[in-house]
Amino acid sequence: MTLIFGVFLLILLVIVALAIVRSEDLFAAVMLSGIFSLLMAVNFFLLDAADVALTEAAVGAGVATVLFLGALALTGKEEARHTVSPGGRWLALGVSFATASLLFYASLENPHIGDGSAPVHQHVAPWYLANTLPLIDIPNVVTAVLGSFRGFDTLGEVFVVFTAGIGVMSILGVRHSLVELSGAELDARQRSLRHHLIPRIVGRGMVPLIMLFALYVQFHGEYSPGGGFQAGAIAAAAIILYSLLEGDDRGRELLPEWLLRLMVAGGALLYGGVGLACVLLGGNFLDYSVLATVPSAGQHLGLLLIELGVGITVTGVLISVFHAFARRASR
Amino acid sequence: MIFYPVLFALIATMALALARALLGPSLYDRVLAVNMFGTKTVLFLAVTAFMLGRPDFLDLALAYAAINFIGVLAVLQFFQSREIRQRYERQGR
Repeated sequence: MTLIFGVFLLILLVIVALAIVRSEDLFAAVMLSGIFSLLMAVNFFLLDAADVALTEAAVGAGVATVLFLGALALTGKEEARHTVSPGGRWLALGVSFATASLLFYASLENPHIGDGSAPVHQHVAPWYLANTLPLIDIPNVVTAVLGSFRGFDTLGEVFVVFTAGIGVMSILGVRHSLVELSGAELDARQRSLRHHLIPRIVGRGMVPLIMLFALYVQFHGEYSPGGGFQAGAIAAAAIILYSLLEGDDRGRELLPEWLLRLMVAGGALLYGGVGLACVLLGGNFLDYSVLATVPSAGQHLGLLLIELGVGITVTGVLISVFHAFARRASR
Repeated sequence: MIFYPVLFALIATMALALARALLGPSLYDRVLAVNMFGTKTVLFLAVTAFMLGRPDFLDLALAYAAINFIGVLAVLQFFQSREIRQRYERQGR
């Protein structure tokens, strides 16, 4: 029965994807991509991948739409007209058709969903499942794999986020010579949603609750779905909500630029520093067992610290990107 | 099982909201459709969590319930600032 729901939701997903590609109104495309993300999260959830679904939820619901709209404020509302020669069209169709048939052909050999004898369940997965409790002593296997067994990969991911943040900031955050703002422009910039009473009061009430939830996701990630990436996105959503309601200038007062830069670099540094500390204490890089006298306690400490590093970096990068867009749009 | 009829009803509502988001015609139809789709997703996740016997997965529904409206607020601010800028540009000419 769950399979039927899954198939139906996947069909909706394909419809939405086609509509996004076809739509020439960019605002409609942004709204549809919001729906795409929601559908994606539901599909992940039905496949029992709660951690991934939570990431999709945190990024898709809170941050992605806001960033898309920030980009939209810098460009036009309509997709640019482009003409493709008929030959190019046929070539594109041919390439797409060939790729699609290859993928279909490959999928014929795929094992069924939930097949225990699938190759992916034969290699390291049984070892992870068997050793998470004795070695790391936490119930959430995903966190154990992500943070400890494959901690090196996750370190790479954090640096990818770090690099992406630097890339966006170096493209959008280039300092312009400050233009004198006229009255109406200053008004438009500062107004935000500050004069709308109901969103402001309700929204301001939500900010601490969202922050609290982010902290829960951050520090409870070993026991339930969650961890640094999700918590970082949720915390960034709380700050972005504050900036939307109170104005970008007040949001920047709350978390000034130097602090954001410190967060972006400091989180990644904390992660790498934990790895180095393990080396100095006589273990391998990112082998947390040496951090405390009891190996599993060391693992707990290590996971806590690296998840904190991930969370800080992700929060810093997302808020910096938001500010970079907002500042460009207000000029 | 009470869960299946509920899920069917939710999926039907989601499909209807999706149809409104695809058809438009005005921007506000789409905004409302996305918001409604988000609400139905929260319900769908909550019902599925109980159906699968994993009520701890309610965290996900909670995350959506908490931050889903931020996108709508961003849309409102987007329209407002665009309106003000357009008015300012018209005055400038």
